[in-house]
Parts: sequence; C-alpha cells; structure tokens
Amino acid sequence: MKALDRVNIHIKPGEFVSLVGQSGTGKTTLVKTLIGEEKIDQGKIVVGGWDITNIGQREIPVLRRQIGVIFQDFKLLPKKTLFENVAFAMQVCGGHPGKIKRIVPHVMKIVGLNNKMNRYPREVSGGEQQRAAIARALVHRPKILLADEPTGNLDSLNAHEIIELLLRINKFGTTVLLVTHNREIVNRLRRRVITIDNGQVVIDQEVGKYIL
Amino acid sequence: MFLYFIRIIKFSLQDIGRNIWLSLVTIIILVLALFTVNMLLVVKVIGGTAVDAIKEKIDINLFIKPSANEDEILALKARVSQLGEVRDVIYVSQAEALENFKMSHADNPEILESLRELGTNPMTPSLVIRPKSLDEFDNLINKINAMEDEIIESRNFSNYKVMLNKINTITEKVANAGLLLSGIFIFITILVVYNSVRVAIYTHRREIVIMRLVGASRWFIQTPYLLSGVIYTIFGISIIMGLFYPFLTLLQPYLETFFVGYNVNLISYFYGQAHIIFGLQFLGVALVNIIASQLAVRKYSRV
Repeated sequence: MKALDRVNIHIKPGEFVSLVGQSGTGKTTLVKTLIGEEKIDQGKIVVGGWDITNIGQREIPVLRRQIGVIFQDFKLLPKKTLFENVAFAMQVCGGHPGKIKRIVPHVMKIVGLNNKMNRYPREVSGGEQQRAAIARALVHRPKILLADEPTGNLDSLNAHEIIELLLRINKFGTTVLLVTHNREIVNRLRRRVITIDNGQVVIDQEVGKYIL
Repeated sequence: MFLYFIRIIKFSLQDIGRNIWLSLVTIIILVLALFTVNMLLVVKVIGGTAVDAIKEKIDINLFIKPSANEDEILALKARVSQLGEVRDVIYVSQAEALENFKMSHADNPEILESLRELGTNPMTPSLVIRPKSLDEFDNLINKINAMEDEIIESRNFSNYKVMLNKINTITEKVANAGLLLSGIFIFITILVVYNSVRVAIYTHRREIVIMRLVGASRWFIQTPYLLSGVIYTIFGISIIMGLFYPFLTLLQPYLETFFVGYNVNLISYFYGQAHIIFGLQFLGVALVNIIASQLAVRKYSRV
C-alpha cells in the first residue's frame, strides 16, 4: 500500500491552503516529502521552483531554511527560554549574534510574545508555546510555512489565536500550508481546502469545507 | 566559520557537562589505558637499562700465576688484545687486586683482619677482558680457552649470556602482557567512548530533531559529538601527565638504589621525550576516540 498515490497539487505563492483528512491518511507524509524528510518513489516535487525530488543530503539544510515548520507538540527545548529557543534556530545555522539580537525580538513581537521572552516553555500556556514555535519557524524569513496540526494540543480559544496568527503571517506574503483535521477551523477559514483520503487527493476546492 | 567553531565547542562542552558522570567514567578509563601504555614504556626503559648494565659487567677474568713476571703478563695482554672479539684488556696487578679486594670488603673488619694476619698478598694478578659485542662472546670464550700459556693460572667465565637472555625474556613478557593490557584498555575505551557519545546523542535527541528542522547542517549537528572524543583525549592526556610525573618522582629513588652506578633517570627521559611520548599518545587516543564517536554518530544521529 502506498502512503501517497497520484497526488497532484500546485500551491501558488502567498496562498493559504488547508490540507485535511483523517488520521493516517498521508497528510504528515506529504509534509515530510516537502522538507526532504521522506523520498518519493515516483513523480516530482518542486518547492519555489526548486526540484527537490532527488535532493542531496547537503542541500536539505538549505531547503529547510526556506520552509518554516511547526508541529502539534511545539518541539521547544524545555531548558531554554522562549528567546533562546527562537535564537537557537539562528545559532545552529551560523547566525551572527548581532543579527540574532535584532531579529529575535522582532519576530517575538510579531507573534505577541515580546513580554514573555525570558520565560521557560513550562511557564507559559500551550498557545504561547506554539507562538514561540511559530516565531522560531519565522526567523529565517521562510517563503513557506508548514503547520502540521498546530492546534492539536490547544483549547479552542488558543487554537483560534494561532490560526489568526497564521493568517496574519500569510498576509505578509508567506505561503501557509495548514495540515489539520479540525473541522471547525477549516470551515471558518473559507480558504482553499485539499482533502486527502487513503493517500489520494479526493477534493481540492478554492473555497472549501471539511467534508469527510 | 569562527562562530560555527565557537558554537560547536560550546555544544560539545554542553554534551560533556550534561552527562558529567558518564564523561568522568570515560576519562577515568582513558587515564587507565594511558597509564598502562606509559607503564609499558617505563618497563621498556628499565629493561633496556638492566640489559646495558649487565652488558657493561660482562668480562672474562684470566688469572695469572703470582710467579709470572711483568713482561710475560704484558706479552699475554698484547696477545689477547690482538683477538678480533676483544674490546679492551685491563691488567690488574697483584697489588691492585689486593687494593680492590680491601675496598670491596671495607665494611668487613674480620676479613681485613684475617688478611693482615696472613702477612702476604694472597691475590693473583689478572687480565680483565671485555668483548666487543655480546654476539661474539662465545667465540671469545673458545679462543681464550684455546690459548695456552704457562703463566695462566685459571679462567673465569661467568655465564652472563644466560642472565641477559633471562632479562630479555622477562622484559619481553612484561611488554607483551602490557601490550595485551593496553589492547584491552583501548578496546574498553572504544566501547566507553562509543557509549558516552550514544548517551549524549540520546540526551540531545530533541535538540538534534530541532536542529534538523531549522536547517542546521549535518556537519554542525555531528561535529560536537566528534569533538567530545577529542576533549576526552585532552582531559585524559592532561591528567596522565599530571599523575605520571609525580609517580616517576616516587619511583626514581628505588630505581637509583637498584641500579647503583648506572644512569637510569626516568624523569629526565619522560621530560626529554615528553612531546613525542604524549604527542603520539594524544594522536593515537584522539584517533581511537574519533573513530568510536564517528561510529556512534553514524548509527544514532541519522541526519
């Protein structure tokens, strides 16, 4: 059985697309192929005009600096403050300390965490942790933001705030691919919805709803 | 590049610090391995000194009849000196032999008293013959044995060769045992370093995932773990240098007592050769640690 089969999607720059489907239908696999984590047997993947179908190990870091990714479990380092967590993404890519000091507070302000930069992840709410994760994804000024179930661990209020934040980021010109199975969020967005079932794209609507 | 380097060192020190007990065990094993290697070197130096000391003492004593006159003795000395295997011949006259005897028994008044009571010089003159090399010792003995002269009273050939062979065998056996022990310690070091790096990677698995996610290069993610191996080596070599010189200082008086009259100075040997001894050990251990770290990184940190 194939994880993904005959998937033919084209996402335009600046679009906000929801990728929906039930658990185990291949949504996360699709995200993994976009960041070079999984390889495909057949077909072609092009990200921002770059054919990454047979991307080499050395090129993967370059690709990942152009795509911001956030996950359901936030993936923050518990022993680092929110500022340090965001700065970490720049440090490990060789960012200059001066640049880090300039960019990180700016990004923290965008996500609304400028007054909680010195808090540790355990000292803030789930929604704020996800905001920090978004800030970390944004420090490289990516063209694309992949959000894999970003509201999965959040209550409806926090989930709503995160979606609002993603919409704001999208307004600045960043393409957003939101992977979710949250019916309410998708229906409220009134944006493009791609529905996957059993590894295949079954519905692709410009202004869609969660149908399955 | 400089920033990368500084951050790699920082992350590497963090790896070591966060698994401090495991790091300490790794360094202790490393120190034990290095101590064995250096003890092997000490045994080699002592063995070499012992062999040289015995070689120095190897000689053949040709005892001359007391009735022989000086000319006859010097003629015999000249004959012996002409043998190809002979390095030098020393003529010890009857009076010199008596003086030597008195000196060697200076702390024994009973013997000296008996000598005085005797009234005459009971010693015999002798020729002390030293061979050019140990390999020609047997040939020389045969030639001296074949030498006929009326003034020769007796010949004394102590079998130093057997003693030398024994020392060589013991030194060789100690060296082999040390080599085996060093091999075992190096193997243990590889396992311990491998395990330390594996645990460090496990401890940092979350960081590794995030680093991969945000686009850190494979080189940046893996190098701190390889560097940990080098840092363990630096600590190991520094500790062994700190321990070994005081140890040699303690050992030196015993060696000097044992090898009286011979130059066996381990401290100056280890000081003089320090850059080679510890430099080579550093390179060797660093290589072993990097290999162990590389194996662990390859297996446990797929980037």
